[in-house]
Amino acid sequence: MALVLTDEVSLPLRVIRDLKSEGLNEEEAVVITQCGSLGGKLSFGDAFFGTVFVLLSKIDNLTDQWVSEISRVLKPGAQVLLQTLLVPDNQAKPSSQIERKLLISGFVDVQSTDGSQSVLVKGKKASWSTGSSFPLKKTAKVLPKIQLSDESDLIDEDSLLSEEDLKKPELPLVGDCEVGSTRKACKNCTCGRAEAEQKVEKLQLTAEQISNPQSACGNCGLGDAFRCGGCPYKGLPPFKLGEKVSFGGDFLAADI
Amino acid sequence: MEGKKKRLLVLYASQTGNAMDVAERVGREAERGGCPSVEVQSMDHFDPNTLPSESTVIFVVSTTGQGDPPDTMKVFWRFLLKRNLGSSWLEGLHYAVFGLGDSGYQKYNFAAKKLDKRLQDLGAKPIIEKGLGDDQHPSGYEGALDPWLMSLWKTLNHVNSTILPEMSEILHPSMNKLEHPKFKIMYHASSEVVQHDTHISDLKDMKNMIERARSMSPSLHGHDHGEPHYLLKMVTNKQLSKGDDGRDVRQFVLEPLASVVEYQVGDVLEVLPGQNPAFVDAFIKRCKLDPDSYITIEPWSGERDAMDSYVNGSSDHPIQLRTFVSRAMDVASASPRRYFFEVMSYYASAEHEKEKLQFFASPEGRDDLYQYNQKEHRTVLEVLEDFPSVELPFEWLVQLVPPLKKRLFSISSSPLAHPNQVHLTVSVVSTMTPLKRRRYGLCSSWLASLDPNKNEEVLVPSWIHRGTLPPPPPMLPLILIGPGTGCAPFRAYIEERAMQNLVESTAPILFFFGCRNRDSDFLYQDFWLAHSSDDGILSEEKGGGFYVAFSREQERKVYVQHKIREQSARVWGLLNAGAAIYLAGSSTKMPADVTEALEEVVAKESGVSREAAARWLKTLEKAGRFNIETWS
Repeated sequence: MALVLTDEVSLPLRVIRDLKSEGLNEEEAVVITQCGSLGGKLSFGDAFFGTVFVLLSKIDNLTDQWVSEISRVLKPGAQVLLQTLLVPDNQAKPSSQIERKLLISGFVDVQSTDGSQSVLVKGKKASWSTGSSFPLKKTAKVLPKIQLSDESDLIDEDSLLSEEDLKKPELPLVGDCEVGSTRKACKNCTCGRAEAEQKVEKLQLTAEQISNPQSACGNCGLGDAFRCGGCPYKGLPPFKLGEKVSFGGDFLAADI
Repeated sequence: MEGKKKRLLVLYASQTGNAMDVAERVGREAERGGCPSVEVQSMDHFDPNTLPSESTVIFVVSTTGQGDPPDTMKVFWRFLLKRNLGSSWLEGLHYAVFGLGDSGYQKYNFAAKKLDKRLQDLGAKPIIEKGLGDDQHPSGYEGALDPWLMSLWKTLNHVNSTILPEMSEILHPSMNKLEHPKFKIMYHASSEVVQHDTHISDLKDMKNMIERARSMSPSLHGHDHGEPHYLLKMVTNKQLSKGDDGRDVRQFVLEPLASVVEYQVGDVLEVLPGQNPAFVDAFIKRCKLDPDSYITIEPWSGERDAMDSYVNGSSDHPIQLRTFVSRAMDVASASPRRYFFEVMSYYASAEHEKEKLQFFASPEGRDDLYQYNQKEHRTVLEVLEDFPSVELPFEWLVQLVPPLKKRLFSISSSPLAHPNQVHLTVSVVSTMTPLKRRRYGLCSSWLASLDPNKNEEVLVPSWIHRGTLPPPPPMLPLILIGPGTGCAPFRAYIEERAMQNLVESTAPILFFFGCRNRDSDFLYQDFWLAHSSDDGILSEEKGGGFYVAFSREQERKVYVQHKIREQSARVWGLLNAGAAIYLAGSSTKMPADVTEALEEVVAKESGVSREAAARWLKTLEKAGRFNIETWS
């Protein structure tokens, strides 16, 4: 199914004949004249037409909204052809204007033929598998436009930081690494302190220590909060001296 | 200040609980100073639309290692960044910011710094300059907090002496006085209690009982969404991961017993985990409580305005103590906060225990407490067992024991493919502490323990919520990136689109998955392969694709971002056709690495600069076409 769209009041029949010579193979066509009165909307579903042909008397009638509508109703990979008559005193090249509009809306394989009396611009709607052939021609450095609603328009949060903020922060002044038992190793420690802090000294428990635990310091049975760094019982629940140590445990995964 | 709320609001954004600790301390000191109305709230429970109606707000925010705000701040912060708010939106708001950060990182306290500036730009007035807590300081963040707080109270008092009428209590606190708990427990004779409150005869009763138990918990602050939407039964519990590297990823299939479960792809399932009854009993015994007694929880004194967020009417429906503990108090998983140790010290009869607890609660003992408590994932029960002479009254336990939290999971099924079922893809969390104790995630291990054939009566109290990822329309091309359990929501999207494809035309999907190797953790292998062959929606013939990065199958590591670069033409083709990008998985470096790869793809395929590509992707994010959902 093809769509023939014009802003003119009527369409010469020979145009339809000419289209066949352009390779238009569709059996049927929908013809819409005076499309300016449609308010930029077509009442057809997405990906409905195999070809769209647009005959423009005025280039300005080709708004961005129309270009998106045309894209919407085109099947992926299908072609749009736009023809417009050359107006003698028109400064800007009409074909490049039309080309730009097509490219910005995501059409690919855009090319134009400039005749003496009219120009014809062709473009294809992007088809998923032809992504790799996106032409990097003259207007290649344009990225698809993204519409933002009022709600999604956010300020750039990095602009909230000052010059000062962006500089490397100063580490707090410390007199001596040894000040206070809770002094941490530096982030890029080279003296080995970081390693020492990481290592948890854990001596293996012997069978004897498990069945008859004793404690010279008296703290081993009290629980991790009271045990020294090197205590062999570290990690175990509290126990009574002389009584077999239970491994408490991770019976979290047990039956409910 | 017409129409402004006359209260001191403390809003915090905490990642590991430190900012919450600080916020609660700020609240406590304000109350000690006689402030008539104090409210402490987490930022994700606060509606930013109502910020202009506040008169005085103290913000306490952490900054994570990558310079980001905590997850609980994301929505609030995004709102504040809206361009259309205007420079007088917060006129009349007096505020102060305290940040928790680490000067060892380049992006030191970025969240607090940005917040402070933005608030001013929006018209709010700072009471004092922002305070910046630094982990690198010998006393940690207290080094900055103590003087900053003092300055805050003095300035506030100077500006308006009605805010802190008992200022002297802050300046010269009576050292050994513990304030009273915020709540009191009323015990009710069982004869008083109405029949339906004691007897659970059906699902409706059970849902109601769960709601009543949790609405009575002050720590849940009435933010609990009421009754469970569903009580689900586990019908399938299947291990998806093989191999012995200790990872355990499961597929859970859940079905409602007597209703129909309604949801859409992208939704999340919120689950209330069950606690091991042995632990609940041990806790009750240790605290010398009567499990069968009936209780209600009331504010300590009737007049306090701070109870406005508390759900009332609880005195009409006493709940059994054991039910309350089991459904609302986390006794064997979450670690208590520093204030718990402080209060414990007042109730320790053994001298060595009292000293240790006071030390843990002091600034000097902060590191040791961190090693003992947080790093070891100490549970409330373990702490109480390590300090046997402490007899904490139930009032304090109710206030201080961490509330039993519900957990969120992305739903990995489409209702079109599995009507009346909810599928989850869950990794059973397991960590090894420095002292070589193995800790399991409470909810994931509880779900993993449910045997469909044996535990028929065990039900999963659940809620359905809209997720952060909106469901994509059928004609929207998709680029999905979900390594590991990040694939969970995408299995749902792909199932849905495959069903839609039977009746209408759909746009293609590019899916990038990552795992270690195909023999151990290639989750849902057959499913992805089925859809990527025979003209399926993931097939290249249809314009889509399925690409897997196996990180450990070769010498060098291969991740999803490498696959994205390999397929740069395809990715650009779809992006150029209006595709939306969805990224999901565990946080840390993956999102940043993938974003970098996407920037490279955009720059390379379109010919623009890296900077322009990065800006374009940021705009895509703002427009909702680049969505990131990560979890830790």
